[in-house]
Amino acid sequence: MLKHDVVVVGAGLAGQRAALAAIEAGRDVAIVSKLHPLRSHSGAAQGGINAAVGKEDSVDTHVYDTVKGSDYLGDQDAIELFCREAGPTVVEMEHFGTIFSRAPDGSLARRPFGGAGFPRTIYAADRTGLALLQALWEHLGTARFTLYEEWALTSLIVRDGRVQGIVALDRRKGDFAQIGAKAVILATGPFGRVYGRTTNAHSCTGDGVSAAYAAGAALKDMEFVQFHPTALMETAILITEGARGEGGILKNANEERFMSRYAPHVLELASRDVVSRAILTEVLEGRGFPDGSVHLELMHLGKEKVESRLQEICDFARSFAGIDPVTQPIPVYPAQHYMMGGVGTDSHGATNLRGLYAAGEAACVSIHGANRLGGNSLLETLVFGRFAGEAAAAYAESAAAPEVHDADLDASTAPWRAWSSRSDGEDPSTLRTEMQATMDRYVGIYRNEADLLEGLRRIRALKERAKNLRVVDQSRVYNVNLTDALETAHMIALAEVIVVGAYARTESRGAHSRTDYPKRDDARWMKHTVAVRAAEGPQLSYSPVAYTRWEPKERVY
Amino acid sequence: MTEGTVKATFDIYRYDPGHDRAPRYQRYTLDLAPHTPVLTALLKIRAEIDPSLALRYSCRSAICGSCAMQVNSKSRLACETQIGPELARDGRIVIEPMRNQSVLRDLVVEQEPFWRNYDKVQPHLILDPRHPMPEGSENPMTPEEVERFRETPRCIACAACFSACPAVEADPAFPGPMALAKLYRFVVDPRDQGHQDRLARIQTEGLWLCLRCHLCTEACPKDVRPSERIRDLKEMAVAVQGGTEHGSKHAIGFKDNIRDRGLLNEMKLVRQTSGVVGVLEQLPQGMRIVRKRPELIRKPHRIEGMDEVEKIYEALDRPEEKP
Repeated sequence: MLKHDVVVVGAGLAGQRAALAAIEAGRDVAIVSKLHPLRSHSGAAQGGINAAVGKEDSVDTHVYDTVKGSDYLGDQDAIELFCREAGPTVVEMEHFGTIFSRAPDGSLARRPFGGAGFPRTIYAADRTGLALLQALWEHLGTARFTLYEEWALTSLIVRDGRVQGIVALDRRKGDFAQIGAKAVILATGPFGRVYGRTTNAHSCTGDGVSAAYAAGAALKDMEFVQFHPTALMETAILITEGARGEGGILKNANEERFMSRYAPHVLELASRDVVSRAILTEVLEGRGFPDGSVHLELMHLGKEKVESRLQEICDFARSFAGIDPVTQPIPVYPAQHYMMGGVGTDSHGATNLRGLYAAGEAACVSIHGANRLGGNSLLETLVFGRFAGEAAAAYAESAAAPEVHDADLDASTAPWRAWSSRSDGEDPSTLRTEMQATMDRYVGIYRNEADLLEGLRRIRALKERAKNLRVVDQSRVYNVNLTDALETAHMIALAEVIVVGAYARTESRGAHSRTDYPKRDDARWMKHTVAVRAAEGPQLSYSPVAYTRWEPKERVY
Repeated sequence: MTEGTVKATFDIYRYDPGHDRAPRYQRYTLDLAPHTPVLTALLKIRAEIDPSLALRYSCRSAICGSCAMQVNSKSRLACETQIGPELARDGRIVIEPMRNQSVLRDLVVEQEPFWRNYDKVQPHLILDPRHPMPEGSENPMTPEEVERFRETPRCIACAACFSACPAVEADPAFPGPMALAKLYRFVVDPRDQGHQDRLARIQTEGLWLCLRCHLCTEACPKDVRPSERIRDLKEMAVAVQGGTEHGSKHAIGFKDNIRDRGLLNEMKLVRQTSGVVGVLEQLPQGMRIVRKRPELIRKPHRIEGMDEVEKIYEALDRPEEKP
């Protein structure tokens, strides 16, 4: 029987940072990841990491911007903690070896980002996630831990009200296996692939969030889905907010810099929900380009700046859109980008289930509330990854050894193994495509009751069909058909929670825009949505938002 | 999209070592727009024709390094290789797993040797406790110092270079282009205190096995240019240590040889590289060469136009301005 003190699922920045903290606390740690750690989606983060280290800037301003960006749904105590940790966290990553971009005086270079009062976003060209991921993985390489590489999480082992391990598929061998753990940390990242048009990697399927939900963990604020304003028109590949931070501007087909109508003070650097709605409005009102896009212009910044500070996106635009940003505008349109919701945790990663912790995009602390600011997610992975690792390690120190029985494996994996023995059933790719089309069409940037009801009807029909999934590939080794089916089942469960939460929330706040309830309604809705699984679907309840010093105000950018 | 589609023929390597006696190629034909990425086509094959096709993929935007494979015999990222130019050149698209790595299944290869080589170059900062890092603040580093990393921070560890490298194929002792580019990244890092040891160690651990063919640089999807960084490592190693290995002695002998006469004196070069014992060891082979190709043994002489050669060396000896 495989056993460890702490099992971290997911090996992006949050998982790695959690593992490092637990190792440093003296625990026996294992990392389970369905990809090699360096292939994690953290590496795709482009723009930067926020820390109020500039002389003119302050932690309080960072807190205020984050609270305002969250549309007053973020928990202010957690946000204060988060912003205080920002400086030391970035310095630590620099000491681990991160190659950041530098100012002429040798200090860390900073760029302006959306919704921020000062240039606060520290960066490594436009591949900040990659730079951090490399440095953290290479630093972690000096520590001792066990890596289960290319193992996909299927479920959590819960016994006596306590999480005691995981069940996972070893993708190389094709075997399901149990790993016992005193504490499990979920750091499996986002589930953006519930949408078709998303900047997320194919592997962002929310396996950990779904496994937590199935095990009885409470999911929080799942209806808050961030759409990034600038993704490539055809492929939804991300074009960093840093492009606007460096001075990029948005134009409609009438050559108007339309953001002046939506955010007269900061224009393109309004927060993401505001810019995405503006683009959608322009296109819906007939001012988009014939392909349905608006244009992101960088030409005026000059070849040198564009090619040095925005090197990767130059490559992306050239390779994936046939556009040279130095001389041509980039056709862009919003795409799903970030999930504010996730497994509900306190500011130390603890969930409502004993022995279960979560961090990073898989978790909801909540610091992002109804809308995350650019540059805050990389910081979140490192700050709360560390806190979750420390808390899990402390819990594991005194927790009893996990009780896991070999004999249970057959029963717990029977449903998935049944998929492979069916002669007839539902194709995972087909269900996934239909789910994505449903979410794109009915649960997008602008929402209304009729659409959400139709979306819910369709997702529930898919949920029924998913009971009859069929895996035709009979080989055990690297069976992508099987992981496809596992991921599809995970995502359909989460899609339902998103839609139910969105339908119930009859207001507009941050990224959740109801055309039938266009105003924020603090009296009724200044509260977190909490979803727990029940036989008939997610059961919703609500929990209060933590306040400290910042009174809700109308958001103007 | 008003663009038309083309008929695209894919011949895809299929092999499941547990089931198949031998690899085979399976043909799939699809109608696709010419700018369709190979990865999109493969996922379409998986979704619509054959869900049993095994491959690795994730980000689809050339940043995770998962989908490196051979496309018409070139090691590429499937996600950023468009089918149009491939079809125009070769008429079909042959998809095979990367080279120099054993096949787990279809296009999925065992990458353990690749990662092991990466670990072997100690890819982390080596610190000297006598020079602690500044407490509570970052190490200063000028933009010029950042420039010294060249393009190495862009590496996504996709292993396309490892797949393309003939030295990896010939000798498992060669760490491969990615590992050496990674080593370069640490050698030039002003925070790293292990430069000298790193350079000394790599001289005996495969640095000189590079064949200078530049196929790694051609294969790299992120323009990391590993072969140029390997060249830099060789220069730095010689500058720090002089010629300690066959490879470095050979390079130095070669340079001195040409400086003297403007052409190679192979006999002398063998001695410079391998010493007297080495000459004796290689004598039988030398005799065979002389018997077959006596014209190769020329009386040592200085070529005409030595003044031009001298100019080249003068330029080489001038202190180089920092890149």
